[in-house]
Amino acid sequence: MKRYDLIVVGAGPAGLSAAIEAARCGMKVAVFDENAKPGGQLFKQIHKFFGSKEHQAKIRGYKIGETLLAEADESGVEVFLNATVAGIYLDKEVLVQIGEAMTHFKADTIIIATGAAENMVTFDGWTLPGVIGAGAAQTMMNLYGIKPGQRVLMLGSGNVGLVVSFQLMQAGCEVVALVDAAPRIGGYGVHAAKIARSGVPFYLSHTITKADGTDCVTGVTIAEVDEAFTPIPGTEKHFDVDTICLAVGLSPMSQLLKMAGCNMVDDPRRGGQVPLVSENGQTSIPGLFAAGDVSGIEEASSAMIGGRMSGLAAAAYLGFLSEQDKDKRLADLEIALDSLHQGMFAPGSKGQAFAKTDEGIAVSQSLLKKGYLDDTDLERFFHRSDQTDKKSGIHPVIECTQNIPCNPCQDACTRGCIKIGKTITALPRIDAANSCTGCGLCIASCSGQAIFLVDEDYAPGYASITLPYEFLPLPQKGQLGTALSRSGQPLSTAEIIDVRSAKAFDHTTLVTIKVPVAQAMTARFFKPATHAAGQ
Amino acid sequence: MKSINDRSQNIGSFVSQADDTIIICRCEEITKGEIRQAIHDGMFTVNEIRRYLRAGMGLCQGQTCGKLVKNLIARELCVIPDQLDPATSRSPMRPVEMKVLGNEEVTHV
Repeated sequence: MKRYDLIVVGAGPAGLSAAIEAARCGMKVAVFDENAKPGGQLFKQIHKFFGSKEHQAKIRGYKIGETLLAEADESGVEVFLNATVAGIYLDKEVLVQIGEAMTHFKADTIIIATGAAENMVTFDGWTLPGVIGAGAAQTMMNLYGIKPGQRVLMLGSGNVGLVVSFQLMQAGCEVVALVDAAPRIGGYGVHAAKIARSGVPFYLSHTITKADGTDCVTGVTIAEVDEAFTPIPGTEKHFDVDTICLAVGLSPMSQLLKMAGCNMVDDPRRGGQVPLVSENGQTSIPGLFAAGDVSGIEEASSAMIGGRMSGLAAAAYLGFLSEQDKDKRLADLEIALDSLHQGMFAPGSKGQAFAKTDEGIAVSQSLLKKGYLDDTDLERFFHRSDQTDKKSGIHPVIECTQNIPCNPCQDACTRGCIKIGKTITALPRIDAANSCTGCGLCIASCSGQAIFLVDEDYAPGYASITLPYEFLPLPQKGQLGTALSRSGQPLSTAEIIDVRSAKAFDHTTLVTIKVPVAQAMTARFFKPATHAAGQ
Repeated sequence: MKSINDRSQNIGSFVSQADDTIIICRCEEITKGEIRQAIHDGMFTVNEIRRYLRAGMGLCQGQTCGKLVKNLIARELCVIPDQLDPATSRSPMRPVEMKVLGNEEVTHV
């Protein structure tokens, strides 16, 4: 029987982070993961992460995964892949299926970081091929380069549903609608806005009533629901689709903890069965910890911090780290974790409807119901008393109207045009006293793709708008297309006057379009003319 | 545990519903109607449903239908789903072929 100081189950963001911290303290660490590749969900995350510098904000998820793997390697962590933990027994004995054999391992500490699994909802036809989880869609697209379908309907408007819908569009699928039984969009408004301005309609207070097809999905019917979530007859809408994507929440995969004998609790706010933990993920069994989604559904950034905390706690438990050093290092991590737990989408505020932002501005109801800011919202958010208006020359327009923990735009602007301040959830303010050079670093730094550079004085009668663009093929300078509004409505012919890519932009291309000056504050997306690109 | 252990309570008779033919457990192909009928036969816990119908005993080991079955039981018993215990977790946590399970590396230290 092989012995380790620490066994970590799960090589996702939480597990790897825990293993790295523990190994750096001098522990002999093994990580088991049932998958063929390490990283958990990180390598499917091709979007830029939110947060601040210490959370690796504006870095794409798969890059964070690469860094974690390199760190695990450097610190001497042994990662076993295709290694399925079959059971945990008394005195921290772990039974693992590796290849064609069952192998026993023993450790003095164990960290369970098994993550979560997707929830399903049932409706007529939900078992037809073509009904898939959003995670499955991501796996197909981002790990294996396979398009899940041609025409997709997404159920669920949380961040997973929103992010995966956008990625489906990036992969070349047509997303016909985003549906949620809740009356409000559950995820970040900036994620919703990216989808809305490409012309995808949102159907809130709607659910799927039927998937059509005999051998596979050929269509889907949705209907409006009443307050008891019962479909209202006569409100049915039909879409021809070949794929129905479900993003209706996650459940912790906590079975190993339950089997080990940890005290468990059923907590709907954390996603289901979770272990009762004290600080740093310590379960009711001394030396057995839980980190990441398995102890409550959150997201990768907080899972990585939680993992690091458990790793340090395990090291201190075995004496590899003095209590003093542990407390010192945990204090920094606690501050970082705490800042992620602020704002309108904090774990403690789940499902809560906010009427006003922290700044006292009424939130956009249109953003919550349709996915885009309407004209009255613009008035409130862009002509605030705490920021100076700027009308002449190029200037940033930041369409970030919810208090979310994110601040890379502040650091991106070398001229000091963008101010957030110490509170990471504060809305960015424009300081027009400083002049914008139009460098575009703010656009590329915004994980929510919510920053635009607008120049009303570009040419007589015309304005230029620089927008983030993450679709292929890239438009070419001189190309014509249609400018779309925030709701995805065609406005006018737009000409591409500049296309900028740079290493610092990290795959976000800055596309500048020329539109009639009246559309300077309404045009927010560019749709290439059909047959224009690549033909 | 509370009231669900009171097997004498009257939960009414089984009344079929329009969507009873919907499959809840995909692995073992158990329908909503079968599960609802089982509850009315006296199976008040997820574990009992597992043993009675094999719902949650297939390839995914209840990862997909566990919550769905729990919600069905809760609805029939008129309790909150959190009050019901999930199925027992035991080894092997994932399906393992018998020849692999029998191929145990035994080393004594």
